[in-house]
Amino acid sequence: MNTFQKFYLTFLVIFLASCSSVSTDRTNDATAISASATGAYSDSGLTSNNVLYFAYDRSDINSEGRAKIRNLAKVINNNNLSVRVEGHCDERGTREYNLALGEQRAKTVAELLVINGVPSSKISTVSYGEEKPAVSGSNENSWSKNRRALVKTF
Amino acid sequence: MHFRKFLLITYFIIFFPTLSSQLRIEIKGGAEESISIAVVPMQWNLEVPQETFIHKVIKSDLESFGEFNVLPPRNMLSLPTSKEGVFFKDWRLLGTDYLVIGNVKSTDIDREIRASYTIYDVVKERAIHRGSVLGPISTLRKIGHKISDTIYSRIHGIPGIFSTRLAYIDKPSNSDPNYNLMISDIDGYDSMSLFSSPQPLMSPSWSPDLKNIAYVSFEEGTSRIFIQKLSSAERKGLKLEKGINSSPNWSPDGKKISAVLSKTGNPDIFIYDMERSSWSQVTKHFGIDTEPDWSPNSKSILFTSNRSGSPQLYEVNTRNNRIKRLTFEGSYNARGRYLPDGKGIVFVHRQNGIFHIATQNLKTGKVKILTDTTLDESPTVSPNGNVVIYATKDGDKDILAGITLDGKTKFVMPSLKGEAREPSWSPLID
Repeated sequence: MNTFQKFYLTFLVIFLASCSSVSTDRTNDATAISASATGAYSDSGLTSNNVLYFAYDRSDINSEGRAKIRNLAKVINNNNLSVRVEGHCDERGTREYNLALGEQRAKTVAELLVINGVPSSKISTVSYGEEKPAVSGSNENSWSKNRRALVKTF
Repeated sequence: MHFRKFLLITYFIIFFPTLSSQLRIEIKGGAEESISIAVVPMQWNLEVPQETFIHKVIKSDLESFGEFNVLPPRNMLSLPTSKEGVFFKDWRLLGTDYLVIGNVKSTDIDREIRASYTIYDVVKERAIHRGSVLGPISTLRKIGHKISDTIYSRIHGIPGIFSTRLAYIDKPSNSDPNYNLMISDIDGYDSMSLFSSPQPLMSPSWSPDLKNIAYVSFEEGTSRIFIQKLSSAERKGLKLEKGINSSPNWSPDGKKISAVLSKTGNPDIFIYDMERSSWSQVTKHFGIDTEPDWSPNSKSILFTSNRSGSPQLYEVNTRNNRIKRLTFEGSYNARGRYLPDGKGIVFVHRQNGIFHIATQNLKTGKVKILTDTTLDESPTVSPNGNVVIYATKDGDKDILAGITLDGKTKFVMPSLKGEAREPSWSPLID
């Protein structure tokens, strides 16, 4: 190999290196493993009239709802029950924001139960946000049924 | 060049995910100016028959987001598998900008293959990249995704995201009464359930090292944050506080998780320190503070608050807890996520009662609405910052859809069984 050829080859190698690249990658088989919840949580509803409804993006209770809560308070105290108040939302708005809104709804109901004589130690609250709709459907009829708080025996 | 074939690699094949796909990318309207590329079927030098065709995986990857127009083999004038068979004139004639050829061979290791490939710039008539991908023969799709990533990054100069993964929640259906925490490849293939529960699951978030997913489960009758290892299914519940325990989001260094607790009486942003297993409070306001997202540089946390009377996005400095309001347009801006460069955010924006996905430039404050469907939520950004996947509705059905941040390409990912929501895009995979 003469000097020119050497020079040419060196130049070629540098030239190729400057415009092209080389890579080696490696893949792996999937190693994820699945699991599932054990001892599913469940609870049961209080007799009747245990659902309170709300306006869109609101957590206040109208006079009809307040009357319902007064009756609920009597039933709870007469039977010495412990209750859990679940707050729910319609599907509009973001999920985590609705989780917060559902908690406000549950707490409003809990506060009204306390005002009506139920000891606060007998009440717990939880929000499910928009995760457990009562009915499906993206329309006002469904939404109005999903914006609710449920008072359940616990 | 690294000759890694001399390394002894042992594969621990613990679990085979279902190979059926749950999400498929279907493009609805693409970009007008796409790059034309030809991916020639690879020479298959193995005795076993070929079940997955790597060039088809690459074609479907590159066409996913409308940026490439991939020439089908039936339109090719020749099917070269080595440089001797490449006649640039022919490919120029077909209007091809780039050409990819390659071959698949077995290696010294049992059931392992090597796909070697070359990317040519047809106009400049030269190779711009030579590479190979090694892996078990069961990972042909993943090998294709790796090659797609390299093609994408060589041509666009930013990382390809075809090897990334998606976590999402599948809600109960007639076929499965449970909520499922799912993961799949970003094209919807190789989906599997990581966790299954009759009670709601929410808000999956990938750890930066991709080894864990944090999420919310109601299995104990109240919301609680869990961290689950992908490799062993080992789960750990974060210290449970009274009220809401939700909205987990990992810090960029993976040592902390920002989340929402309402133990003080109303939802505020807290940080969980993984080493100390303890919570510290970041925001304190009687309104709702929720949906934290750590900035890429760790210096701030984006969150939603209704402290002004309606949900808006704010940023809290993680050093001094100083708070700055970011959104001012409209009466509902929520569930924000930083773009990977930290220069913008993507979020849910309500306009005339309709929920859209929008972006905002953090320097100029300019808001751009990306989507035109209703009830759009849970946006998640690709780690290269080019694409957003979000949850929306198809009639009454929960589906995932996507859009490129330039707004040019939209796609839907219709779920084949069940209904998908709350997508979470993984970080880049090495």
